[in-house]
Formats: sequence, C-alpha cells, structure tokens
Amino acid sequence: MIVGLADINSDVWRSADVVIIGSGAGGGPLARELSGEGYSVVVVEEGVHFTREDFNINPTQAYTRMYRDACQTITVGMPFILLPLGKTVGGTTTINSGTALRMHKPVLKKWHLTHGLTDITEAELNLLYSHLEEFLFVKRADPEVAGKVANTFLEGAEKLGLSCGWLPRNAKECEGYGSCVFGCPSGSKQSVDVSFVPDAVNNGADFYTCCRADGIKLENGRAAGVTGFFVHPESGKPTGQRIDIEAQVVILAAGAVYSPYFLLQRGLANSSGQVGRNLQIHPAMQVVALFDHPLSPPKGIPQSSYVDEFKGEGIMLEGGTVPPEIHSLTLPFAGNKHASLMTQYPNMGIFGGMVCDCDSWGRVVDSHRPGYRPTMLYFLKGGDVRRAKDATVLMAEIWFAAGARKVITPVAGHYEICGARDLKRLERSRMKVSDIFGMSAYHPLGTCRMGSDPEWSVVKHTCETWDIPDLYICDGSVIPSSPGVNPQLTIMALAIRCAGFIDGRLGGES
Amino acid sequence: MRMIPRKQMEELLSAYIGGAEGLPEIDMDGQIAFIEEYFRVGSPELSWLFYMCNTALRIVSFIYMRRSFSRLSQQERGDLLNTISSSRNPLIRGLAVLLGLPIFMSYYRREEVSVPLGFDPRALKEEANLRTVSRDRELPPKKEEPS
Repeated sequence: MIVGLADINSDVWRSADVVIIGSGAGGGPLARELSGEGYSVVVVEEGVHFTREDFNINPTQAYTRMYRDACQTITVGMPFILLPLGKTVGGTTTINSGTALRMHKPVLKKWHLTHGLTDITEAELNLLYSHLEEFLFVKRADPEVAGKVANTFLEGAEKLGLSCGWLPRNAKECEGYGSCVFGCPSGSKQSVDVSFVPDAVNNGADFYTCCRADGIKLENGRAAGVTGFFVHPESGKPTGQRIDIEAQVVILAAGAVYSPYFLLQRGLANSSGQVGRNLQIHPAMQVVALFDHPLSPPKGIPQSSYVDEFKGEGIMLEGGTVPPEIHSLTLPFAGNKHASLMTQYPNMGIFGGMVCDCDSWGRVVDSHRPGYRPTMLYFLKGGDVRRAKDATVLMAEIWFAAGARKVITPVAGHYEICGARDLKRLERSRMKVSDIFGMSAYHPLGTCRMGSDPEWSVVKHTCETWDIPDLYICDGSVIPSSPGVNPQLTIMALAIRCAGFIDGRLGGES
Repeated sequence: MRMIPRKQMEELLSAYIGGAEGLPEIDMDGQIAFIEEYFRVGSPELSWLFYMCNTALRIVSFIYMRRSFSRLSQQERGDLLNTISSSRNPLIRGLAVLLGLPIFMSYYRREEVSVPLGFDPRALKEEANLRTVSRDRELPPKKEEPS
C-alpha cells in the first residue's frame, strides 16, 4: 500500500527483506521486481504520492509540489545552471518528458575499457531494454499528435539533410496535452508512479511517503535497515513521527544528487573518496523561433522529435514546447519589448539542444546549507561551451530552414538572429561561458559510480557498495559516464539487473 | 520577501512586465503574493539573492542612467533592464535574469494572461480527464531462457 502522512499517527517499526530509499527510476523497478519475487519490500519516499487527478497542468503548482525546492535547484559555478529534480512518488520520471532511448552503443564499450564493467554485456542490456520497452509501452511519438512546433522543426532539419526523427517515448495513446513535465494528466505517460509502483503495491510492497531517511543501520559492518522521519510536504519540517525498518538488504535510490549527499552526510561507503565526485549532467540551450503563422504551442508532445546528426560530437537536439510562464523566461528581454514578443507566443516555437557527452565534471558536496540541501558545483569547460554554441547555431539554422522570421538565442551579444548574416556572426564568435544568458541541465549522473576498482568507484557492477555489504545504490548516480541520451531507460535496466543479484543474495546464491 | 518595500516591488513588476496590446494589467497584490509564496517554498538563498539583486539594480541605475530607479519612467526602466540583460558581464546580466524569474512567472501563469495566448490549462485538463489508458499486455522475458 501507499502510506500517506494522514495515515501516520505514531512511530513506525517495520521489518522487511528489502528497504529502498527513493521511488524513482531506480527504486520503483527494484520494488516491483523484488516484491514480484515474493520478498517483503518497504520503500521510503520523501515526496508525496500524486495521481493523474492531481496533475492539473499548472506549472507553478507542479514546481512547488513535485520538484525539489520548487524547481529552483541550481548548480554553483559558471554559468549557473538550473537542474530540475523530482520529489514525488516516481521521482523525476513523474515530471520528465517521457523520452525512452537506449544508451548509445559505444558508451558500453567505454564502460568496459575505462571502468572495467565487462560483466555488463550488450546482449544482457538489450534484453532488459526490450523488456522495459514492452512494459512501458515505448513507441515513437505520433507525428499527428506531436504538434506543429515539432513537425516544423523536423521539416527544417530534413531540408538540411540532417539525421532526425521521432523520439521513442514511454507513453501509451498519448494525445499531446503538452504537459509531461507537470505530471501527465491523462495517464498516458508510463512514469514509475503509474507503471512499476502499482505493480509493486499489488505484490505487497509498502511505500511510506513524506518520509525522509536519516540513517542506515549497520550490524557487524553490514547494512541492516534504515531509520527516518516523516516530514510535512510543504515545509519539509519533521512531523515528530519516526520510522525504523530492519531489513536484510538496503538500497539507496535517491538519485544522483541526493544519494551521494546522504552518504556524505553520514560518512558512509566513501573509502574511495569518489562519493559525490564525477557529477555529469546534460547542459542544454534553448532556441526560440518566431514565425509568421501560428504553431500553437504548447499543444502537442513537448519532447517528441530529435536531431542526432552530431551525436558523435556530443550534441543531441530534443525539443520542446512549454507554456507561456516558462516560455517567458527564455526570452532575454524585459519591459515592452518582452511583452510584445510574448503576444506572439502562438507563433513561436522552441527547441532544446543538449551537450550529451560532456568534458566537464562537477561535484555534489555537503556545504551545510539550510535544510536538507546539497550544493552542486559545476563549471562548464571550453569544449562543452563550444558544443553548446554549435548546438545553438544548428538549431537556428534548422529554424530558418523551416521558415522562421527571427530566432532568439540565449547567447549575449547574439540574442536576436534575423538572418544569415547574424547567424554567420554567431557562428564565427568565440562564445565564452559567461556569454550564456540562461542554461538548464538534466540527467545528473555518476556521483556514486560503478566500476571494477574499489579505489576509483563506489559500487560493484552488481550495484552493491564496495564498503558495506548488503548496501546497494541503484539510480543515476551509479552510471559511470553519460549514456549519450536521456538515461531513464538505462537506470531502469540496471535496476532490474540489480534486482537479480539481490534475489540471488536473499535466495542464498551468493 | 518582506524585506523589499512594496513600492519597489511595484516598480520591478511594471518594469519587467511592461505592456502590450492584448495583454491584461498587472495584478500587483496577486503577483506579489505569488512571489512571496514562490520564495517561501523554494531555495532559501533565492529570496536573499532577489533582495541583493534589487539593491544592486538600484546602484546600476545610478551608474547607467544617472538617476535612481524610482525616478525613471516605465519605458526607461524597461530600457535599463534590456541594457543590463545584454551586458557581456555575467554578474550585471545575472541581476536582470534573477529578478525576472519570479516576476515573469507571476504574470504569465495567470489564466487571464495564458488563455488569450493559447494555453488553457482548464480546457486541456477537462479533455484529459475523459481519457482512460489501460496497462494490459504480455511481457517478454528479462533473462535468456535456459536452452
């Protein structure tokens, strides 16, 4: 069952085979798999459980209820980068765009060569991907539903002869309400909260929501349970009730920012010194185009199309419509100029270009901020700034090929591109990191990375930590390097793989 | 948020939102209440930064325009914000970005603003409510079958 704050009147003591911290792309699949094998599973989730009735296409309400810090999580460095993180049952999958891509093939080779992860084979991953794609109803976005913005952008890309297409998404019978990142109002998007979690509950797993873990119980050096406390969902303040769960296996699946933060605060599993290091994200630039005819955003599928012509060079275009209140933030103007542009919102398209293979690395640190908040340090390096500029130029070229009258970029000195001459000027410019007006990033990864060497990694290929037997980490933090695409499918595949090892451990095979 | 006097908040809102034909008036009370709530539930540093940026903007106004921000006309305030938005200095530009974040959200989130622009969340939600999506299906194996 899913236990809400209203159901908690006193402290909770439980024992289970497995306790999982977090119910996102790692924790949800693990809960389903292990409960399906007959193990008793308890999940501790800090966020609230929402259903499709609650998803009312209100961006601000979604930010304040389902995102960490009301979607104000920002990396510290140059530039400041907005890094949205989910805090709800289903984790970030509940508020992502639903893109469900397999990892780029060369990445696994890199994992083998650089991280010694030869136990993870392509055949095994492909089987897991196929299973997940079936389970999550993954199929290509329907061009009829995708909306005019996506269709227009792809027309432009095709005119330029670029490799492009429709993104595979974990959505069934999607009708394009333009609001995936605020929670799918029709139940089409098969995020963890509507796919894995209901199955896990049917299998007998218990989810304690509004519950923050604050410790891992150790017995003879092995993980033996979790302690935590219940919090008010809005203020994050303790309600006074605690939870104490004894378990044979503990799984930390709080995401690539909060899993290392949890470990750093408690000094756990960090003999390698790698916890919190190696933070990888996918920084993204948004380019807005103005047309003479309506594109009718945001109706359609917000992220339905891609251009992957330059994926080998670390650039992937995926886009991209947003409601007016978010769109207004992408225009680098103010006053009457901003207002008159916003009146042309129906004629505007927006697309995103992400640096999907970064040279830059960041770090999650415990800097004693108020409340339960880590600091993410991240500095965009020169090579990635160049990629961000290339992505911006490419998107502008595509928009013009599609018939745009004007393009608006987030590059200072090049905000308004009115034709080939301006575009050439942007292309020739030596864009500096400080020229970026605003940047967002997605898919934090790598902060408790997996590897074959305990001196350079935090977990084994099984996701068990090197330092603490029976403590597993399974979320984006274990992915050792960017998969080159949106990582949710890869995280889920590794979670199902991890469940197999835990099954072996609990069944006495190891 | 209480640290910024209401008069200064009104100046910021009118400077950022500006005006264009077809867009409704600013709702000072509602939008200021929203901004307060937005800061209350978000990152604790953000409201502090907002306050600092407001102070810095008033200093920048003296440097760029030789007059206090309060004495500028609405058009001049908008022009000043556009000037600093296009500065190549990230700290100066950051002022405009950070101050604009909650202000733009507070305005364009209002249904009387978003609906004329073509975004009607209520209508979309009503349409979405009518749909039912089932999860019935056969699943393929996760592991290779023993031969």
